[in-house]
Amino acid sequence: MPGRVPRVTKTEAIVLGHRRLGDADRIVTLLTPHRGKVDVVAKGLLRSRSKMAGHLEPLTRVEVVLAHGRSMDIVTQAQAVESFPALRRDLDRLSTAMYLLELVDRLTVEHADARPVYELLHAALLRTERGDGVQLVTRTFELSLLDVSGFRPEWTVCVACGAPVDADDAGWSALAGGVLCPNCRGRHPEASPLAPRVLRVLRAYQSQSYEDAARIRLDAELMGRLERVMHDLVRSVAERDLKSAAFVSAARRASVSESAAESAAEAAPVAVSEE
Amino acid sequence: MNSYSDPPSGTASPITRLVEAFHRLPGIGPKSAQRLAYHVLRAPETEAKDLAEALMEVKRSIVLCERCQDLTSESPCRICLDLSRDRTSICVVEEPLDVRAIERTRGHHGLYHVLHGVISPTDGIGPEDLKIQELLARLRDIDTEVSEVIVATNPNLEGEATSMYLGRLLRPLGIRVTRLARGLPAGADLEYADDVTLGRALEFRQEVQ
Repeated sequence: MPGRVPRVTKTEAIVLGHRRLGDADRIVTLLTPHRGKVDVVAKGLLRSRSKMAGHLEPLTRVEVVLAHGRSMDIVTQAQAVESFPALRRDLDRLSTAMYLLELVDRLTVEHADARPVYELLHAALLRTERGDGVQLVTRTFELSLLDVSGFRPEWTVCVACGAPVDADDAGWSALAGGVLCPNCRGRHPEASPLAPRVLRVLRAYQSQSYEDAARIRLDAELMGRLERVMHDLVRSVAERDLKSAAFVSAARRASVSESAAESAAEAAPVAVSEE
Repeated sequence: MNSYSDPPSGTASPITRLVEAFHRLPGIGPKSAQRLAYHVLRAPETEAKDLAEALMEVKRSIVLCERCQDLTSESPCRICLDLSRDRTSICVVEEPLDVRAIERTRGHHGLYHVLHGVISPTDGIGPEDLKIQELLARLRDIDTEVSEVIVATNPNLEGEATSMYLGRLLRPLGIRVTRLARGLPAGADLEYADDVTLGRALEFRQEVQ
């Protein structure tokens, strides 16, 4: 049927991940703006003479030409557009980026328009690349991604009865997807209290622009609490633990012990803060 | 894979079983699997017996070296026991095959440590799934002479993450942590090089001899 389906397509994409296929080939998972997440075959990628290997590494924005195959498309050309070099040189930024990729991989479906997700991921990678706080980038990304994926958490009114919730007396449930008023909390045994200042930041992050959110000053303790709330929420939506979230924490712990060792050498107090 | 007939009982015939066993090996497609199976069938019985015994022997006798975690028939392995090797440096690799690759270069005279994988969160592999604790134990040993750890993980995202993570863990022990240089492979073409590789090659350029 000539003319009905074009035999090749050219698209831009962000490489989310890859897995081995046979001896030298790879299945590469791409996030494309129009076709969402797609698995494509890259032949000969594991040979040292491969001309495409470096262009199809995860965490690269790439222009690809795909030839339609029977079950999966085949990459015939790949040219990296952006490879985020600064992001690859710092463990906190790199582990954060790996988490963003895993999050997108878990929360997107194949072959569906994904322009908003694509733009969110691209913006978050650029912000991490230029050195914005990884916690700020991650939290605002998680909230926006849940929003465009149809899992927008509710922080202002009770998810059970719809009554406005006072920040000073709020409970919350990851399973229910948001805050609960004092009356409804009893019917949700899994609910836990939510500190007023944590809830205020969540409300601000959800309703304000990234630039305004970036102006909110957070101490390490508050960042930790926000992270726990968002991880609970993400785990509940993705229905699994994200391994990369654990790696972000492991990298941070190693950094803390490294700076502790340095400070011990200087006999100075340890400053545990982001960036 | 049904070009040969199965017995009517439903259990696979010995030939089918052998073809399928070969087919499970890496790099062996259905045609090669058939060719290998029929070769074994035609070969003298001693050849088949040698193959079977070699297979069983390797499963029985190969263990992980208690020090470097490489595959070996006796623990500690030959490299770990070799007194002529430099005990001040350890080269950390992802897989046992990487030890063989580095050995071929004759450029590393120190010891090894095999991680048996690489940090790859999308595949569900975190630092706790690798032989990192074993490496730390070696380096914390009071008798250790190690002053440098050469991280020779693959130059991809997972390899970079692993090397940076090891750097963070090991620097507090007062050990120099280095990483294999990265640049253009032999026979490469600049036109097709990706920006990361070309950028690093430029950054770590060398004086022309």
